[in-house]
Amino acid sequence: MGMDQAWLIPAIPAAAFAVLLIFGPYLPRKGDWLAIAAIGASFVLVFPILADLLDQADGTTYVAGEKAWEWISFDLAAAGETFNIEIGFYVDPITIVMLAVVTLVALMVQVYSIAYMKGDPRYGWYFTVMSLFAASMLLLVLSNNLLLLYAGWEAVGFCSFLLIGFWWEKRSAAEAAKKAFITTRIGDIGLLIGIIMLWLEGPNTFNIQEIIAFAEEGGYGDTYLTGAVLFMFMGALGKSGQFPLHVWLPDAMEGPTPVSALIHAATMVVAGVYLVARMLPLFEVADPIALDVVLVVGLTTVMISATMGLAATDIKRVIAYSTLNSLGLMFVALGSSAVAAAMLYLFVHGFFKALLFLSAGSVIHATEEQDMRRLGGLAAKMPITAAMFAIGTLAMIGIIPLSGFWAKDEVLIFAEEEQHIIVYLVLLSSLAITGLYMTRLFLRTFLFAPREQETYDHAHESGLLMTVPLLILGLLATVGGFVVFDEVGEALGFPGGFAQFVFLHRAHEFDFQFDTAITSSVLAGGGAIVGWILWQNKAELAASIRDRFAPVATLLSNRYYVDEIYQFAIDRIVLVLGSIIAWFDRVVVNDGGVNGAANIGYFAGFEAKFLQSGRLPNYALAIVGGILVLSIAMLVTQV
Amino acid sequence: MTYEEAIFYVIAAITVAGGLGVVTARNVIHSALFLILALLGVAAVYVLLASEFLAIVQVLVYGGAVTILILFAMMLTRVRDIAGPIDGPQRPIAALAATVFLGTTVLAVTQTEWRGDTGEATVVSIDQIGEVLFTTWAMPFEIASLVLMVALVSAIVLARGEEGE
Amino acid sequence: MIPIDNFLVLSAILFSLGMYGVLARRNAVLILMSVELMLQAVVINFVAFAVYLNPETFTGIIFGIFVIVIAAAEVGLALAIILRLFRNRQISNVDEADLLKW
Repeated sequence: MGMDQAWLIPAIPAAAFAVLLIFGPYLPRKGDWLAIAAIGASFVLVFPILADLLDQADGTTYVAGEKAWEWISFDLAAAGETFNIEIGFYVDPITIVMLAVVTLVALMVQVYSIAYMKGDPRYGWYFTVMSLFAASMLLLVLSNNLLLLYAGWEAVGFCSFLLIGFWWEKRSAAEAAKKAFITTRIGDIGLLIGIIMLWLEGPNTFNIQEIIAFAEEGGYGDTYLTGAVLFMFMGALGKSGQFPLHVWLPDAMEGPTPVSALIHAATMVVAGVYLVARMLPLFEVADPIALDVVLVVGLTTVMISATMGLAATDIKRVIAYSTLNSLGLMFVALGSSAVAAAMLYLFVHGFFKALLFLSAGSVIHATEEQDMRRLGGLAAKMPITAAMFAIGTLAMIGIIPLSGFWAKDEVLIFAEEEQHIIVYLVLLSSLAITGLYMTRLFLRTFLFAPREQETYDHAHESGLLMTVPLLILGLLATVGGFVVFDEVGEALGFPGGFAQFVFLHRAHEFDFQFDTAITSSVLAGGGAIVGWILWQNKAELAASIRDRFAPVATLLSNRYYVDEIYQFAIDRIVLVLGSIIAWFDRVVVNDGGVNGAANIGYFAGFEAKFLQSGRLPNYALAIVGGILVLSIAMLVTQV
Repeated sequence: MTYEEAIFYVIAAITVAGGLGVVTARNVIHSALFLILALLGVAAVYVLLASEFLAIVQVLVYGGAVTILILFAMMLTRVRDIAGPIDGPQRPIAALAATVFLGTTVLAVTQTEWRGDTGEATVVSIDQIGEVLFTTWAMPFEIASLVLMVALVSAIVLARGEEGE
Repeated sequence: MIPIDNFLVLSAILFSLGMYGVLARRNAVLILMSVELMLQAVVINFVAFAVYLNPETFTGIIFGIFVIVIAAAEVGLALAIILRLFRNRQISNVDEADLLKW
């Protein structure tokens, strides 16, 4: 069992999906055990593959494993070449990190879902789509060529659509699913254009490594390559919810909370990060403006999401904004060519964000309530959930010694070294704001006096099936950051530590920079303390500040009116254009072309029948007329 | 102008006058009488064309038989008693068509150089016609006689009427 | 000698007159008479061509003979039909027999 068997990882959940699709309704318990067994098998299989990768490592240099089968191959007569599509799997350190996160979080979420989705009429369908999602995400991560990656990309988008709109009887859920799909689709077009551009001028292959090698040799023109990578980045923009395609992620919270935990926190949204990390060599070869675009987009997303998080009142929405925040941070890291930092952050983010979502789900399941204005003081009734939520919050804010701290610091260190001082300052300010809004979330939900007594009375701690995943994720969120230390890495069997595991050009030592640590801790802690002050008890202080800065508050709670702008654009431009085209299709093509052609025959016949007047003189005149025409014609042509 | 041409013009004028009378006369019987005039005029034209046999046949068949037949038919169908205009609604268009046709034909005729034009009418004697009629054209001759017989029989059948009439 | 064009023009005039008569007259017998006129013109044409252009094989004259024969037969038959029509429907105007219309 080694890297050659990596294809099993996506194949097992795919097989589970197929079985569940056909036989699901007839299996005992609608087959949830099958889905969990499949994802559990995938999780277990990661370890032998990792071991194989480590075995084949030469000192601190890792050798990637690749295995491919030819699928479609035909000759392109025009180009004089053959067109190949292969199905292949590629395992390297980045892949392993993704595999670990995806399979573990998926397993935790599915176990959690058994309790959360209990009693739902479409229980079986939930696990079916979950299996399909797992298979698609794993395919995306493992694929060795861009086309297969795109297939996985589209499939996860489709599963996201199905799962966001799981309760499609609710109008808002159906609308949210549609919005998510359309927004990510806009990004996907960019991705497809980028893929095609790379293939068109490239070495006649979709294989990622071959394309990278070709680009590094200078095979692409500079502007051309920059254009291609920027188009691909569009796809990452859409999928990872970066500005300006961030609008779908908060609405996606309409789906069941485990779905939000899996798809919109730990796995699908990081597909964009994975894509850019994978294609980063291309970004390096291209014009520096490509990386600058990534950086700026990430920064913008960080700032707007942090500020919007301050105004949101739905607990899932606040966590969704924190996801956007984290994703922006990952893109800032990538924009600074810090793959190690980005992958580290991705790794730990998977754990603490899933933890946050699942804890929130625990609250929602117990109280049937999502609005923090109606919650409060739940720590007394749901201690385990509250503790796990606290861990997640602290990890998100970046408090030592939790995992989020180490990952955030690495990003800050890279930003300080590689980028303009402004970037660093912006990131620092976002730390403070993050402290603010996450603290607000925790306080309003779990501490102080309950706002609605009835909701409070209903609350109860959730069962084992929900709390055990929380505990596991909480543990990982706490200790996951320690892989930063080389000693830990080597103890786990990674020669040279984690820093050597995932890097771009040179291994960056995860060194502990005191000053950065102090600065970030002060800011993050300061934000948390200010938050405590503002939102303690009845939060009168926060309310008075909000009233004083009412316009700002309105702007934030309306999410910077981005949705309204998009809706305006859609109404005025897209729908108008659509109605013009529809008019054309209806009137010109259908009425004119199709019906018109038929009517010509009908009316021609109708008018022509009046020629049959039945009167001989008329017929005689017709004969004479014909003869005249002929004779004149002959006269003219002869003469 | 030779006296042959002068004679031709006179005969032509008579024939055309007869033709005009056929198509424009108000009275149907007058029309029939004008037809007789036209037919006899045509017989004279045949003489000018040095075909006396044809002229005689024309007078016999047409002037004798056909016109009588037409007059009989007029009598039996009571043409004089039927009311209404004698010309149909197509008169102007018919005039136009006829004029156009006349124009094109005259134009064609006068513009063409006829091949082998000897400039004078060669006399074809009757024994020549007879000889050819029974040798080269024997088949059409027999068929023509068949046609006549068929026409005769069918005319009788058609015009006979029902039993008891 | 008379040039051939004279006869041909005469024939054209007669044919045109006959054509006018066929198109303009209402009575069936009158139309028949106009047709006769056209046939006369045709025969004049045939004979003129035969005598002027083709005197050795004078096909036109033979043609003329046969045209006269057939024309006579046709007149007989046509009149029989007109008689029949008159007896059945009491009409002899051609534009009143218009049952075969749309």
